[in-house]
Formats: sequence, C-alpha cells, structure tokens
Amino acid sequence: MNPRRLPLFYGIAGAWFALVACVAISQAHAQAARAAPETLQVLDEPGRISTEEVVITDGPYARQMVFFRSNEAPGTLVIHTSERFLYIVQGNNRALRYGIGVGREGFQWSGLVQVSRKGEWPDWRPPPEMIARQPYLPRFMAGGPGNPMGARALYLGSTVFRIHGTNQPETIGHAISSGCFRLANGDIIDLYERVPVGTKVVVRHGASL
Amino acid sequence: MLNASQIAIRCALASFLALVLGMSVLPAAAGTLESVKQRGTLQCGVSEGLFGFSERNAQDAWSGFDVDFCRAVASAIFDDPSKVTFVPLSAGDRFSALRTGRVDLLSRNSTWTLEREAGLGLAFVGITYHDGQGFMVMRDLNVSSALELNNAKVCVETGTTSQLNLADFFRANSMTFEERAFPTAGEALNAFQSGQCNVLTRDQSALYAERLKLPRPKDAIILPDVISKEPLGPVTRADDFAWFTLVKWVNFALVNAEELGISSKNAAEATSSGKPDVRRFAGVEGGFGKMLGLDDAWALRAVRAVGNYAEIYERNLGVESRLGIPRGLNQLWSMGGVLYAPPLR
Repeated sequence: MNPRRLPLFYGIAGAWFALVACVAISQAHAQAARAAPETLQVLDEPGRISTEEVVITDGPYARQMVFFRSNEAPGTLVIHTSERFLYIVQGNNRALRYGIGVGREGFQWSGLVQVSRKGEWPDWRPPPEMIARQPYLPRFMAGGPGNPMGARALYLGSTVFRIHGTNQPETIGHAISSGCFRLANGDIIDLYERVPVGTKVVVRHGASL
Repeated sequence: MLNASQIAIRCALASFLALVLGMSVLPAAAGTLESVKQRGTLQCGVSEGLFGFSERNAQDAWSGFDVDFCRAVASAIFDDPSKVTFVPLSAGDRFSALRTGRVDLLSRNSTWTLEREAGLGLAFVGITYHDGQGFMVMRDLNVSSALELNNAKVCVETGTTSQLNLADFFRANSMTFEERAFPTAGEALNAFQSGQCNVLTRDQSALYAERLKLPRPKDAIILPDVISKEPLGPVTRADDFAWFTLVKWVNFALVNAEELGISSKNAAEATSSGKPDVRRFAGVEGGFGKMLGLDDAWALRAVRAVGNYAEIYERNLGVESRLGIPRGLNQLWSMGGVLYAPPLR
C-alpha cells in the first residue's frame, strides 16, 4: 500500500481529534484495557535537567532486540500502549524494543499515523487544560535539557501527539497522568536516527470490556 | 533439554510403563473431576524449584507460572485458588506420578514430545510456554543475532540436546565455533563468567535465570534467536478425555481472556458487558460450563483468581518479575507472537 494513501488515523479517531496535545487528560472516561502495573502520579517538572546521555540500561524497559512476528514492513513503528513498549520492526521476526511511558489517553485509541515531522530539543506549549490543572506551569518553554519534551520529538500526522523524550526518565514503563509516548532522552535520540519522516506508526491497545 | 542419565531414566521409565500397561493394572481411568470434587482439592504436580515457574518460599507458599496454572484449574472447579495440593516432583518421577494417579495434573515445565504422548499414554493439553534454546553473550561482544557468532567460543553442558542443537545450528549456517563443554550447568556458567567462552547456550528461560546469578547481569544480553523447539505445557492422563478437555479449556480461557481484555481487575464488570464474546466468557450466556461439568462462571472464576495469560506471565516471568523475559513467541497471535486459542463458544 502506498503510505501516502494511509488514513491519518482510524479507530476511535473522533475522540482523538478532540484531545488537546500530549497532555490533555480526562480521567472520567479513562478506561485502561489492562490496568497499568503502576500508575505514577507525578506532575511535570519543567526545569529538571536530563541530558542526552540518559538511557534505560537495565530491566525490561532497556532498549533490546526481541523476537517479534509482524506483517508490517521493516522500519515500521508498532506501539503497544498496555505493554509500555515501542517496537521498530526489523524483519526476520525481530524488532528493536524500547520502553516507553504512556498517557492514560493511550489506552483509549488505536490507530495508524505517519511521522510528519521531526524536531530536536522541541519547545513546549502546555495546553490550557494542563495549565488549569497545574497552574505553576510556564506558558511557553524553549527546548533544552530541562524541557519535559526532552531531546527529540517525532510528530504524528497532523495531530498534536508525538513520540518524545523526557526529563523524567523514571516515568518510563508507567502510565503517567499526562504525556503521550515518552522515551528516555538517549533512547529517543537513538530512535530519532532510525526513523525518517513518513514512517508508518501503528498504535495498538488492549481490548476492553 | 536432557542429559544422558535423564535419557536413561526415561527409557527405563517408558519400559516400565509399557509393562504396567500390558498387565492392565492401571488405576481407574475416568472420573478425575469427580474424585477431585470429592477430595475437595486438586493434586497438582510441579517442579521442586525453578525460578519463575515453581518456587516455594519459607512460609511454604508456592508461586510461579506453572503454579498459577494449577490455581486457575482449581478456581474453575472450586472458585477457590487455594484448593490445590502442590506435589513437588523430580524430572524422573513426574510422569509416573501422573500415570499412577498421585497427581491429577502435571504442570511442570515439561516439553511436549511424541514419545511422551504415544509412549507414555499421556496427553498434553496445550502449550503454555514456548521455550527454545538460545544464546547469552557479553554485551561488549557487540552482536545482535545468533548469525553473527561465527568463530565464537561457546560454553555448553555436556551430553545435553543443547550440545547437539548447537553443533547443528553452526553447521547449518556454515559457521565455526569452539566448544567448551562442562559436565554441569553451573560449571558452564562459571566458565562464561570467567571469560573462558563468550557465549553460553541453554534454553532461553534458563538463560534468563542464569543471568541473574552473574555479578553484573546487565553486562550480558540474551539474543532473540531461538534454535530449537521446547514447547512446555500441562499434562493429563490420556484415559480421561473429559478431564483432559476441562484442563485444556482452562488454558484456552486464560489466553482468550487476554485477547478479550478480561483481567483479574475487571472480572467483576465482565458479567455486565454488552459484548457477546465477553458475556459468553463470563457465563452469562451460552451455558458452556455445564458441558465441562462446572459452573457457568468457570472461566471468569479462573481469571478472577490468577489473572489472564498476560497477568500470569508478567507477574512470574515478565516485566513485573526479576527475570524480565520478553513475551516473544509467548505473545498473542495478533500482537507478534504465536498464542492462539479457539473461541469459547
């Protein structure tokens, strides 16, 4: 299939459009298909420094090659939100797996998108919903080591969702009350180099009752 | 994986069982479910101790992947995961214990082979864990595939199928290797640790457990490649088909629950779901429990007690355990693995 003909997303796309940024949260209808092992209640910490060198080195969320059967072409990104893993398909029944942090929204949709744009040390503009919840947040924060968006961002389609770094690497493996898909800075840099604009991204979540 | 002495024991066991079979002095065949119900507890054969699969703590409490399967079956029957009597069995004793009725069910990391069914009169209910021989390497060797191991020094346990598979794999891929064989797994691990070899080969689940014994586990990685088939699963006697079917469908139920999104945490809400397949699973529709001789809520009871397949896996072997074994083959068919259960209808 010609990647250009892929729909930006489908599935529960309507609700998705309505969400604002990686950070919008609606606890009322947050229904985890499989409850998170742990849900961290941490707020964003703008200003906290995390450098390019930070990678997850140990445990299941460390970057590693794993067995992975897929009909997707090599290079495709597959995100399993309930597992907290992002896979980049390598062919030959394997994939490079990264641990990620997901937002609660991550449970609510699945979809097919493309990487529309890439950026280094992205700026951050918390949306109004988030400011209302965390009034101390800045209205704008220039990209850099203290920015919650981290070292790199892969923008998904024309949405405000993205795969990005973080200045809170301890949140990897958790559902955080705000955030889309976040990797430790060293890991997002590694991923960034492997993923060109136009890459297909498949987001899967577990079934729900 | 079998060493020479285990093979000898198995041959002796098989001959003995053939003799017993010929003399027709087997225990009464059918009615396992009835005797389990009468006894009020499931007799479940497990390993004497295998990290992640079957462990007993100081308080005599059992835990593990194989242990949880016993509890799932008990919960389907009694709605109570504690109604299990765990019977620790050695590799040599396990099949005779099942044959003679000492246990109703064997859930003891046993590889499904033709000989064990056709030769011993047993029936594997399915595959709960797809294991296979793999390779552990030091991270600084900088390889990501078993196909990059040409000229490696490989440590292996003498007289095992692992040793034979190792030679086959390198030959089939036109690669050479230097073998360092040791009489025990412990010595092979020590040799790997001291640098006598840069690769250690065993079944993958065992490699994950061995890695924890290294002073710095994160210095070693386990390659994703699997070079042999070691399908592990629960076993029943072949002469009680109704019991075999019951146990088999408990396994299918755990996998289907994951696929349907039914977990220990939301089991209570499943009965009020509007989805037909969830309602059948919960026993609200269909009446399938009676066909198995159980309450219609049997499948939901099992999941409520021990969780669905993913919960059992992650708790004992996966991200929530010290082993941290990736799901790999043991992932749902729709998510990159080979787990596939027939529909519960």
